Amino acid sequence: MNTDPNELKQHERARLMIALSVGLGQGSSRTTLSHSGISNSDDVWLSSHLESCLPCREFAENSRKTIRSLRGIPIATTGSLVSSTQMRVRQRTQELERQRERFWVVCTCVAAVTLSSAVSAALLWHAFEWMGQRARLSPPVWEGGFVVVYLAPAVLAGIVLLTNGTFFADHSPPFQNDPNAN
Amino acid sequence: MNPTACYFVTTIVDENTEIAVGLRRRDPELLDHLIEKYQHRLLRYLLYLTGSRELAEDFFQDTWIRVLERGRQYDGRHEFSTWLFTIARNLVIDHVRRKQPVSFDSLTTDSDSVPPFDIADIRTPSAFDDTVQREQNQQISAGMLHIAVEYRETLVLRFQEGMSLEEIADVTGAPLGTVKSRIYRGLSALEPWLKGARL
Repeated sequence: MNTDPNELKQHERARLMIALSVGLGQGSSRTTLSHSGISNSDDVWLSSHLESCLPCREFAENSRKTIRSLRGIPIATTGSLVSSTQMRVRQRTQELERQRERFWVVCTCVAAVTLSSAVSAALLWHAFEWMGQRARLSPPVWEGGFVVVYLAPAVLAGIVLLTNGTFFADHSPPFQNDPNAN
Repeated sequence: MNPTACYFVTTIVDENTEIAVGLRRRDPELLDHLIEKYQHRLLRYLLYLTGSRELAEDFFQDTWIRVLERGRQYDGRHEFSTWLFTIARNLVIDHVRRKQPVSFDSLTTDSDSVPPFDIADIRTPSAFDDTVQREQNQQISAGMLHIAVEYRETLVLRFQEGMSLEEIADVTGAPLGTVKSRIYRGLSALEPWLKGARL
């Protein structure tokens, strides 16, 4: 091959085009630029270049053989791999379905609790107002009583949880010593 | 576009849309069908990417679990195989980064390694041709494990999966020019291996 820089560029260009167009089906390789990577005019230029350039022709032939060999290497999955994958995927699908169901149960519970607390707060407020008027108490007094009664269950529950330990403290794994730490 | 081409494009788009809808529903029948349909192509890609049968089989399973979990992200506008290979590729990259945060090149195998697949038993007209072809296949499969993993991956996607340059760019996240260059350099890198096979 000549060492003239222009000629070297031509060989480089030709080999790049060969690499992009070789091994593709005739129908697809020559009709669309996006699939083959070379245009029709480049294709014409490449054909004329190959007619006069033995090393590039050899590269094209080697590329064709390489691709034929690549396609001749069979790689097959085993039946057990496919079936075990399908089983794992089905198990995971069920897990995700259960998670989704739990999520909806939690959402429904949160909505129900929010609604019932809003209704009970309004009822309790009117009850305290009525009792305050009957007992001739000033508004700040019965309002204070409402706040105490309304918040008492949550405060009590918090105290019980703090004294007995929380759910997370009970269910988290104990700390383990790192065997490599020294 | 001619009517035949238009028919095929419409069919492919319909199929991808059906897959997208099924993945959103997490349809187990569809997933079983997809696993069977893409089993060889996905495993082949993973084998060339990892160079190890054991690793490739692990990634094969993980890829389908990821497809199930992220199925809602597939919009059906692109080819399903492109999305599938992108997921597989990202899993391998994550694994490599976790193992040794250096580079993708660590997947290039040692010179004494054995290819993780068997060589084809190709039936050709003569025993001599058969021997030459088998020898070439062996050399090329060995050569594939020695070239840079970027070249190997691009060659597999181009010549075994038959992907367009744009699809390869989508899967690998590389610019189109880089994809073209990798195909050329990959073929050039395999040339000495082919020549070594000649009897």
